Amino acid sequence: MRRLGRWWTEPLPMARFAVFRVVVYLFIPVDVLLTTPWVAWHADVPTELYQPLVVGGLLNLPLPTRLVVLGVQWALIVTALLAATGRSPRLLGALVFLLYFEWMVIAMSYGKVDHDRFAFLVALAVLPTVGVARWRDRGRSEAAGWALRCVQVAVVLTYFFAAWAKVRFGGWDWVTGATLTRAVIRRGTMWADWTLDVPNLLVGAQWLLLGFELLSPLILLARSDRARVAVVAFLLGFHLMTYAAITIIFLPHVVALLSMLPWERLRRVTEDSAEDSGDAGAASGTPSSPVSAPGGRPDR
Amino acid sequence: MRVAATDRDTTLGTTGRAVRLLAAAVVLVLATAGTVWGQDSAFPFGPFRMYSTRSGTDVPVNSTRIDAITAAGVRGPIADADTGLRRAEIEGQLPRLIADPSLLELIAQSYVRRNPDRPPLIRIEIVVRRYELRAGAATGQYSDTVLAAWDADDTTPEPVP
Repeated sequence: MRRLGRWWTEPLPMARFAVFRVVVYLFIPVDVLLTTPWVAWHADVPTELYQPLVVGGLLNLPLPTRLVVLGVQWALIVTALLAATGRSPRLLGALVFLLYFEWMVIAMSYGKVDHDRFAFLVALAVLPTVGVARWRDRGRSEAAGWALRCVQVAVVLTYFFAAWAKVRFGGWDWVTGATLTRAVIRRGTMWADWTLDVPNLLVGAQWLLLGFELLSPLILLARSDRARVAVVAFLLGFHLMTYAAITIIFLPHVVALLSMLPWERLRRVTEDSAEDSGDAGAASGTPSSPVSAPGGRPDR
Repeated sequence: MRVAATDRDTTLGTTGRAVRLLAAAVVLVLATAGTVWGQDSAFPFGPFRMYSTRSGTDVPVNSTRIDAITAAGVRGPIADADTGLRRAEIEGQLPRLIADPSLLELIAQSYVRRNPDRPPLIRIEIVVRRYELRAGAATGQYSDTVLAAWDADDTTPEPVP
């Protein structure tokens, strides 16, 4: 138990956390306006077609009228952009989380619930807990470590629990069924339609998919930067392939996946190039002091 | 540089660590419970069930669409963006729509809001296309069935043959 606690709060670079947080907040306007446009469509759908989730009743959330949907949409976009500046990370971050949560309630309350955003929601929930973080920070932080670890665990659980659901709802013989065939018939692209002529291919893909999902907790064992970059590359490949085949991409989940990357290396890259170009005095023996002034700021 | 970095490390206090680990544990328990016993309505802690049901290898694949006739007399399928509801959302509410086809009027209202410049819909049909499968392969055969229909001038539910 103690070891698990230590693993979960292992100090990680503050710079990694800072970059990831900006990426997450900047993704929100993209998600809301471009890549998930159908949530905002619900503004035009009569509220009689609203099928409230348990949480909507528990929290007494308002009926998603046109005013509510458009109000949440724009408040969310503005708050996320403000949060991306890094100012008032706790207050703005908490607001973004609450607004995005409500946005998801609006999304999932019309007869279909997706599970592509669990890790993204977890990310939004934990990002405000770290306080001020800058990408030039050189320190490691246990608070940042906990937050990043939470996101990574949520990413892994999304795969692992998806396998569980397949066994629960589909049974162990899910792998020999025609679920992927059905997916390709319903949503297949020109890149995927040929697979329908090779039924065993898609059954094989189902074996691989369930196997990968069941083994996904091993992802958390990737310790070195190199191993984690390889894991992210593999998973991105998986999601891109799915997109090419049936135009489903777990984009918010993919953004959460980026929490595994060693973003702190960006700083080293930019500083190295500054040194290479003989930037005024920066390379003369005190490489770390002038640029990392905010680095030691406590995170609480 | 390593030394400088460790100098600036920040740690959590006992309370901060305990609260964080407790919060993580609570979310883990809720997500696990949702996966084992929950239903979709438990979002965000429901089961992660996209593509989790097993499709039989000889059972037809259903694909639902909305066909409509506009006031201009044009007949054709209506896109998700025009009704404001995704296909899967229509499918999720299908039992309700079949039981009470007058609810399709709500889709006609939503169409007008989303397409104020186009002629309104005077008839809406929910059509399911069943693609035949044999041993997991598509045979190329399919059939269309109207599951529910609504007409603008006649608001009483129309029995579907």
